[in-house]
Formats: sequence, C-alpha cells, structure tokens
Amino acid sequence: MKKVLKLFVMIMLSFTCLSMFSVDAHAKEKVLTVGFDQECPPFGFVDNDKNFVGFDIDLAREAAKRLGYKLKLQPIDWDSKDMELDSGHIDCIWNAFTINGREDKYTWTKPYLNNSQVFVVRKSDKIKSHDDLKNKIVEVQKDSSAEAALESEEHRELAKSFKSMIKIGSYQTALLELEQGSVDAVAMDYYVARYMIKEKDTLTIVNENISKEQYGIGFKKGNTKLRDEIQKTVDAMKKDGTFNKISDKWFGSDVTTKKMTLPQIMYQLLDGMMKSLKIFFFTLLFSLPLGLFVALARMSKNKVIQNITKFYISIMRGTPLMLQMFVVYFGPFYLFNMPSPARGFAVIFAFVINYAAYFGEIFRSGIASMEKGQYEAAQLLGYSSFQTFFVIILPQVIKRILPSITNEVITLVKDTSLAFAIAYVEMFSQAKVIAANQKSMMPFVAAAIFYYVFNFIVAVLMEHCEKLMDYYD
Amino acid sequence: MKILDMKHIKKHFGDNDVLKDISFSVEEGDVVSIIGPSGSGKSTLLRIATFLETMDDGELSYLDKQVVESVGGHAIYKKQLQKEAMHCFGLVFQNYNLFPHFNVMKNIVDAPIRIQKRDKEEVYKEARALLKKMGLEDKEKAYPSELSGGQKQRVSIARALAMKPRILFFDEPTSALDPELTQEILKVIKELADEKMTMVIVTHEMSFAHDVSTRMIFMDQGVIVEETTPDQMFASENERTRAFLGKHHELA
Repeated sequence: MKKVLKLFVMIMLSFTCLSMFSVDAHAKEKVLTVGFDQECPPFGFVDNDKNFVGFDIDLAREAAKRLGYKLKLQPIDWDSKDMELDSGHIDCIWNAFTINGREDKYTWTKPYLNNSQVFVVRKSDKIKSHDDLKNKIVEVQKDSSAEAALESEEHRELAKSFKSMIKIGSYQTALLELEQGSVDAVAMDYYVARYMIKEKDTLTIVNENISKEQYGIGFKKGNTKLRDEIQKTVDAMKKDGTFNKISDKWFGSDVTTKKMTLPQIMYQLLDGMMKSLKIFFFTLLFSLPLGLFVALARMSKNKVIQNITKFYISIMRGTPLMLQMFVVYFGPFYLFNMPSPARGFAVIFAFVINYAAYFGEIFRSGIASMEKGQYEAAQLLGYSSFQTFFVIILPQVIKRILPSITNEVITLVKDTSLAFAIAYVEMFSQAKVIAANQKSMMPFVAAAIFYYVFNFIVAVLMEHCEKLMDYYD
Repeated sequence: MKILDMKHIKKHFGDNDVLKDISFSVEEGDVVSIIGPSGSGKSTLLRIATFLETMDDGELSYLDKQVVESVGGHAIYKKQLQKEAMHCFGLVFQNYNLFPHFNVMKNIVDAPIRIQKRDKEEVYKEARALLKKMGLEDKEKAYPSELSGGQKQRVSIARALAMKPRILFFDEPTSALDPELTQEILKVIKELADEKMTMVIVTHEMSFAHDVSTRMIFMDQGVIVEETTPDQMFASENERTRAFLGKHHELA
C-alpha cells in the first residue's frame, strides 16, 4: 500500500511539473495578441479556407505590420473576455467593441467606427418602429452592447413593452431562431446585422435605432503605452487611405460569402475534430490510472488521506466541469499572479482531474464488490498485497465495472465540447465558427454526424472489450 | 516433530468470547479432525492458525519456531517469522475461493511460479500430476465457472498442494456440496491421509472423521471438550460429546 501511495504522489508531482513547462510562450519576440469573437462577421470570423479574416482582423494585421509586432490572433469566448484581458492572455480586444457604457472599464483608443444598435425582424411581420415591438419576444447576445442599451435607464419603457427578452450566446443562433419564428426580433450591431442578413431575404432591419455608439480598441486598464502605439498607427492608416480601403473591402455592397458543400465543411471541421480527439485520448490516458489511485486513496485506512480524497471527489462531482476549467486556466493568475497554462493543457488537466473523480468512484464500487475470499485465498498462497491487487483483484474489477466505464467514456466524447469555455476550438466550437461564416445550420449537422460516429466507434470498441473479458463468469 | 503448536489461544469478537484458552498441537503425519456445533470456534481456530485472523492472546509455533508469543496478556506477532511460516501450510476453503479469471492450470501454477519462483516446467509437470490424481486431467483449460462444486474443490486442493505445504488445513471442505460430490472430496482427503500428509480438518462428516483421523477434537463454546482417538471419541462418556454425536454414537 505504501508503494502505491508513493507512486500516486510521484504522478501528481510530475503532473504539476508538466504544467510549469507548458505555459504560454510569451517569447522575447514582440507579439501583439488580439482577442476577438470569431463568430462575428464581417469584423472577425473564419473564411472558407480556415483563415481568420474580417474588417478588424485586417486593421490589426496592418497595424501590427507597421509596428513590427508579430500578430497573434486569439479567438475568445465573449463571456470570458475580461478574464482573458486581465490575466494577460490577450493584449487588446479589437472586435466591433463598443466603447459606450464601458468607458471606465478599459483603456480605449479614440473611436474608429460609428455604429448603432438596431432590431432585426422578419419582413413579413411589418415591424417598422419600436412601437410595433410591443408584446414581442426579443433576443440579444449576452454581455453585448445591445443588451446594455436595452437595460439602460433610457430604454426601460421600451424593454418593458416586450413580451420577454431572451439572452443567448451568439448572434448566429439568434438569427436562426428569428427565421424559424421562435423569437420576433433580435437586437444587435448594425454592421454585423447588415452583413449577416445580406443573403437572407426574409429578414430586415428596423429603421429606428436603439442607440448610437462607437467602436474602439480596448486595452487592459492602464496599458496606455500600447494604446498610444496603436492609436498612432491607426491615425496614420486613416491619413494614407489604407483604412478606407479596408473598410470598402468589408462594408462595400459586393461582399458575399461562397457557400460551402458538406464535404468542405467536414474538411474544415477536421482541425476541431483532432482537438476533440486529443482531449478525449489524453483524458482517458491519464484519468483512468489516476482514478485507480483516487479509489485506493478513498479506501485508505488513513483518515486524513481518506477525507482529503472524499473532499476532492465531492468538489469534482459537485461543481460544473466548465467552472473547473476556468479555475485551472485563470486560477494561477488570479490566485498567485502566475502565468496561465496553455489552453490545451488547461482543458486536458481539468478534464483529467474531473474524470479521475468519477472513474475513482467506479473503481471503488468495483473493488468493494470483490469477495473477501479472493483476498484470503491470495494471502494464503503468499501473494503480497500489491500482487494481490494487480494480479487477482484488479482484473476481476475491470470486468465488473466495464459497463459503467463505457457510460463515462461516451459522456466524455460529448463533454469535449465544453472546452470552448476557455476558447479551445474543438469540434463544436469549430462548427459554430463555420456556421457564423456560412449563415447556415449545416455545420451543426456535420458536427452531429461526427459525434454520432465517434460514439458509435467507442461503443463498438467497448463492447469488444466486454467480449474479450467474457472468457469467464 | 511438532508441525503446529498452539498454546492458550484467546479470541473475542465484541462481547463474545469465541476461543477461551485453547491449546493443541499437531505432530508430523497427524490427521486431526475438529468437530463441534456451529459457533463453537472451530473455524476461528483454523483462521487464527492460518493468520487470516489475529489472536488476542496466546502462543503459536510452526516447526518449533515461535511466531506468536504472549507478552503481558497480549499476543505479539513476529512479522519476519510469520512470513516464513506462511510457506509451511495451506488452506482449503469451504467455498473454494478459486480465482475465476484464471483457468484451472493457472490457478494451480501461478503462486508456485510467481511467489515461490520455482522452475516453470517443473511446476507445470507437478500440476499435471496433481490434476491427474484429482481425476481432472481433462480440465486443465477450463475456467472455475465451468466446473461442478466437487471439481472446484478438487482444484482448490490441488492449488494448495502445489505449494508443497507441510500441513494442510480444511475448513468444512464439503459443506457446500451434495452427498455425491461430498464423497468425491472425502475420497481425495482419504488418499492424502494414506500418503501421510499432515492435516487438520474441520468437518461435520462424522463417519468420515472417524475413518480418516488419527486424533479427534470436540469443541464447544470456545473450549476443547475432549481430545482423543476416534474410537474413544465415539465411545465417550462425556454427556456433551454424546449429545452432539447423537446417532453417530453407535458407529463406534
């Protein structure tokens, strides 16, 4: 038993060491990391060839080039943009970022684009003004300027007149809901709206603005040095006409998106697929053995070890995996002011410690179900406790718990999609990105096919394993 | 030579004194049967002799080496000697406790090869001989779940014998078997007795105990009531013994 514990401690230590080495490489080279929402065309999104493109992306690219920075484009989850900025994962948010209402939260450049918040509605509903929205269902993106505007003092009456106001993660989904009739209006940025409904004949923009606002580039509060550099460059770009050129490219009337075929979508999803597979395999690789140690620690006669393990299991099972990922990724910075681990590593680490808790309980139930006689027979024949466990007990336990393990493994396949929370673009996030570019549901269908096939293969493999262990009763 | 020597063994579970000052020893070649009603402490005595249970107080020696000594009313186990003593006995359980994920052959050879580090080929050769002796030469590759209760018990005896013990304990080896299968097992034990194997058998098979034993012990309520030859046991004047043996009494 002591040997087992020693091994356990060693594995935990090596895990910790690993995390030290895989921090984001903020090398000596001058890097400008721009954070943006990659589901926000035409400001920042992914084109048919898997490149980050858009109005803001082009501006950032040009500015970085002129300043001699290496540009790193970092897609982020909009909900966690403040944590990303505070913890230094990104240097600025450059992405149709509204200044109004956020003046004091960030260090801003001067406004570079005038925008307004508008309602998108179905043409057939003949909604012409805000009065027509009475008793309608309105949808906004969470934490967006449209949300802020509708919740402000100024628009309280307007918001009150709605039947309800729904908050949702992305514009893309909101517009799909609008098209199929489950909501009546979507409040969003004028430019984004104009771009997104260009090829949707059934939708239109209500002429009456909710509010006017301005876009700027947002830096971490106090980072005036970088702000000033960027400001100067943007001013220069405006002066020499580069700014206008880029603006024409994205807001001119002839900008359209080429439709992708299903095979093309599948091909684009490949990157995400690889990342999902990576999460899947590494999680299993580490959490299964770790789960075994968790089970042994949980069953330890030492009360301290037993209670620590109990506490760990209850935390892992009692809080959402998504939250655990936040803690692993942002925790080092907020708690110890240390650099955060790499995104991929943080995802896998969080998955491993979470799944190890579940696997640990499964192992424990299996071990507890073993007859006492097996231990006694082994002891009589002179097996050490280590040999007894690995030669006699564990092989039988594995057979007994295989069906429960299969359940967890299938859940894991689907859970990989939670990695988007810290902007690790796995399969499902990739599908959302393509959906934003393509303005269609097709990528989700493709994603569903992928998950189904993946799970089908997993189920077949696990069934095969169960058959392999069927040689005895 | 005394193979096993137990002195003043005391054991309690909660308020229940299971063994109250039990002493007995086993000479080489002895076949000792322990009989007595359920709850008399027979199995506990075997489990203490095989280190599956620890005694509260008392002394225990294997091959004249004292493994447990009594110090100030408490039993003190000598770990190193205990480890060595493990090699000189085997135990056959009531419910076999075969390893279900090993086939018959592996059940028998795994411990001699893995634990005793004996030569693989030699162990397999001996195992085949043992299986032949048990009438199971065609069951080498079978898994325990494919065997009858009697066959399982014969495999478990073979498994114990493969370790070459100096003494073999049987804990009610036929209690889980029907009369026909019981005879199979008793026949095997009889053969072992004929070969002068030293054995201690806890059993409820009275006539078998009479036939096979060199000595019999009658236990009741945690004490040894009588210890004598089989013939004298069945002719006992002791009231408690007579009451227990009941109709078997006439066997003598």
